Amino acid sequence: MKVAGIDIGSLTTKVVIMDDSKVISYVVNQTGDEVEQAARQALEEALSKAGICTQGELYIISTGIGSRGLQFGQGQKAVATCLARGAFYFFPSVRVVIDLGAETSTVVKVNERGRLIDWANQDKCASGTGLFLQQVAKLMQMPISEMGKLPIPEKAAEITSTCAVFAESEIISHIHRVPPTPKEEIVAGVYQSVVGRLMSLIKRVGIAKDVVVTGGVALGEGLVRVLERELGFSVLVPDEPQIVGAVGAALIAGETAKRGVSQ
Amino acid sequence: MNSTGSGNKLGSVIRACRLIRRMLRADPEARQSQFMYYQMLEDYFTRVLRAKEEDGFVVGHTVFFPAEIIYAMGLVPMHTETATWTMALFTGDCSDILASGARLGMAQEICTPHRGLTGAFASGALPHPEVMLWSNMVCDNTAKSGELIMEVCNCPGFFLDRPFKRSQHEIAYLVSELEDMVHFLEERSGKKMDWDKLSEIVARMDRQIELVRQINELRKNVPTPFRPQGFLELLTVDYLFPGQPEALEYLETLYRELNEAVKVGKGAVKQERFRLMTLFIPPMYLMGFLDRISREYGAVSVIEPFFTFWGEGRLDPSHPLESVARKSYMIPEMRMYGPLDDRALGAIVNCAEEYKIDGAIYYADVGCRHSCATIKLFKDTLADIGVPMLVVDCDVVDATVTSEEEVSEKLQQFFELLEDR
Amino acid sequence: MTEQHDQAGKLVVLERFRQVNRSFPKTKEIMEWRGSGRKVFGWLCTYVPEEIMHAAGILPVRIVGYSREVDLDDGNAYMYVNNCSFARSCLQMGLRGEYDFLDGVVGGSTCDGARRLFDLWRSYIKTPFHHVVTVPRKYTERAHALYYQEVLDFKSHLEEHLNTKITDEALYKSVQLYNESRGLLGKLYELRQREKPPISGAETMEVSNASFRMPKEMFNDWLKELLNELKSSDRFYSGRVRLMLVGSVLTNAEFVRFIEEQGGLVVTDELCTSTRYWGDLVTFEGTNSPLEAISRRYLNNFPCARMFPSEERFNRIVKAALGFKVDGVISETIRYCVPYAHDLPLLEKRLGEHGIPMLALDVEYGTSGSGQIKTRVQAFIEMVEARRR
Repeated sequence: MKVAGIDIGSLTTKVVIMDDSKVISYVVNQTGDEVEQAARQALEEALSKAGICTQGELYIISTGIGSRGLQFGQGQKAVATCLARGAFYFFPSVRVVIDLGAETSTVVKVNERGRLIDWANQDKCASGTGLFLQQVAKLMQMPISEMGKLPIPEKAAEITSTCAVFAESEIISHIHRVPPTPKEEIVAGVYQSVVGRLMSLIKRVGIAKDVVVTGGVALGEGLVRVLERELGFSVLVPDEPQIVGAVGAALIAGETAKRGVSQ
Repeated sequence: MNSTGSGNKLGSVIRACRLIRRMLRADPEARQSQFMYYQMLEDYFTRVLRAKEEDGFVVGHTVFFPAEIIYAMGLVPMHTETATWTMALFTGDCSDILASGARLGMAQEICTPHRGLTGAFASGALPHPEVMLWSNMVCDNTAKSGELIMEVCNCPGFFLDRPFKRSQHEIAYLVSELEDMVHFLEERSGKKMDWDKLSEIVARMDRQIELVRQINELRKNVPTPFRPQGFLELLTVDYLFPGQPEALEYLETLYRELNEAVKVGKGAVKQERFRLMTLFIPPMYLMGFLDRISREYGAVSVIEPFFTFWGEGRLDPSHPLESVARKSYMIPEMRMYGPLDDRALGAIVNCAEEYKIDGAIYYADVGCRHSCATIKLFKDTLADIGVPMLVVDCDVVDATVTSEEEVSEKLQQFFELLEDR
Repeated sequence: MTEQHDQAGKLVVLERFRQVNRSFPKTKEIMEWRGSGRKVFGWLCTYVPEEIMHAAGILPVRIVGYSREVDLDDGNAYMYVNNCSFARSCLQMGLRGEYDFLDGVVGGSTCDGARRLFDLWRSYIKTPFHHVVTVPRKYTERAHALYYQEVLDFKSHLEEHLNTKITDEALYKSVQLYNESRGLLGKLYELRQREKPPISGAETMEVSNASFRMPKEMFNDWLKELLNELKSSDRFYSGRVRLMLVGSVLTNAEFVRFIEEQGGLVVTDELCTSTRYWGDLVTFEGTNSPLEAISRRYLNNFPCARMFPSEERFNRIVKAALGFKVDGVISETIRYCVPYAHDLPLLEKRLGEHGIPMLALDVEYGTSGSGQIKTRVQAFIEMVEARRR
């Protein structure tokens, strides 16, 4: 049975089409200003990629910041619920999911059956991880993908501010020092400060292996390495970390459709 | 600073109570006990304002302070924290009294109920009492607030030192403190303590606690009969009317109503899906919203270990002062004060099991230090018996700390979690 | 601020004290004590009667947090960020096993931070013995009677746990020893009454910090040596102004040095870990019973801000400020410390009545100082200096 999961984030909209619990296509687009439009477009693209002509009997569940008030679909589920399902799908050994989005970081705890048992958000701060790192990449004058691949040196520059606004001025002073602080050290320092904040969040639900890291920011290997160093063990990252929430939504769509229930 | 103030804010509370009663009349689901509750509130604050107008003797006091003593002496009690949060609840905006508190030099870290109440005295939103009574229940903020209040209201005061543990000698000390307090009030008011009256009040208080226990027994029923957020009424009745006839009337009426509902299997919400335990006070300004959410999701607070779940013990009217002292150790929230030993943590576990709880919600008031330090401990205690706990960061009075949207998201997520299990 | 050391260089004994502080909690002395099969108990708050533990053959050491500002992830997870950083810091050290060598912990029901620290310690840190002493907030005779009973209960609990008897004789001996410490520390402080004290505030803090974390006999011997060193040296300090440091708990000597570097010589203080700790002697006025004498002393001791009425504390601060000819007072309150924060407006007023200005700083426990604090302290010192002229 064909189902779709739509995850509408502040920066990106992800759509996943699944059939009998297998991912048959997915799309990652910019959300932009028109949430409804972005969702519809992404869905169409995903359907087209999957070779499906009409929306027809497709059962759709949406999630994410932009999903409230979505005019189509069979229902909406909260983010942590979908992350739990999605991460479990990729790694049944998961116990903690760390989702690093553009504006929000979410840590999710699941039990051995992949059921959500606890979660914590970091949303009080004005800038989330993804957007902050984008800003840093701009300051470093390199594409974010390149920044993510920079090697992590032993020594990291000290970035004392956890607040992005103040951290920016610290980064700028590092760049303009005489001699300037090496780029790898600055970036490592930024990762250190981000991970420091994340650790507080993770401790609220409690560290447990295996840890799965999801979200667009997980594409940047550098941050993940620093996180592993802090945790003291390796983490699991799906090949496509951005679509985990949408996969979770799609799986829930499948379950609900089977039960013959519609919200 | 004028001593009666404009009385404006209390006036608003009184008007709001009238308005609510009018609204209740138009609601077919409304119960007699609800009418009684809002009438009691209105009468309470009217009495304070009248006392100020007619040169009566108003005794300001802080939370858990044994108002039984004030009633027994025929004086007019004014529960300062309740006055502050009913103002927040009914007027929806406390920024002026909080600003007034700030102007006095009160630090931002002082919790909003206390900044608000002292600010309210300074701005005249609350009338000045003739004397101020305060204690160390429930935290340092309360213990240290009295001296500044005395200065702002230019009135004498008495600090009641309530010991930490419940050994015999500590209870004896508390009794001696109460004796000193009676002397203080007699001296200042010119009125004598009526010990017979106090015994009567204690006898009624004993009955009052028994009634709450019986009401709790009814709440165990599936579906639970008591309206969502109704527990705040029980709390306020205990704060404002300990041992008073109107409190008994209210509780007896409420008991009858709930008993009827249980007989016919009528639940507080149409389809009870989630039975919750509430672990701290929800933000006042979100009450209406939380009520709606409760009904929408079929989620009801069935028991509140630190508000409505009384500790064991009976009060003996033949030893009134000692009974008043003992009551302080039975009060649900004083169990949370500490020490947090097995007895305190055991109460949470008992409640979860006896009331068939699906999940717990902890409203973490950012200004309330000593309660926030219990969050992890309670969460772990509940996790050990497989009950999830949601933490909602908020402030009981300050509406800028969190929004309906944020709370709504968290609750939705939590209910999904409960459903999923 | 100018300083001059004697020909021989730095104060030898001071270095020893510094080493104790740097290596705390697992200092050489504490580990040796344990190694010899004896017990070590941690305690918190000046209202816990140390002599009782000492008389039972225990080494009492004061529980404090990290000596610098650190990330308090674990502390925050258990105690929440809105509790004072001192309590969170202590808890974090406990959670991370830094105090795993303790055979017992004893606290007083003094303030919210301490109260919750002990609640959480009890649940999450497996120390074999745990006791909380109820401390009344008043000084009345009845309050004294209550506190005496509490001290008695503590003694009984200890005797039961250790399967021993704590005799009056042992208590008396402990009192003598502790009084000797108090007297010696008093002598050290007296040296700072001079116009040019031979020891700075930061250095003194190293001594008072060490006083509650090593065997008293050893401490007394070292302090006697230090007093001798100071007597025979011609070192001196003179600042632009003479300051008194008041507030809650402060153990980072770097912070004091930071203030002194701006030109304000700290000649005396009123902190949980300094004069409020050792200030008063146990006296036997009106009683022969060491237990009664101990309990009376501990309740009447230099007041913590939690005590009522607040005037008692203010009076003592003013007395000390006048006695040490202080030009200004700097108050440091740990963020979220309720009792001390509430005292600030009235304390400032009282000091003002004696012509002593006060600067109120809001700090995190363990801080060494910051740019913002530097600016404020500098401005304050300038203002005080101008007033003095």
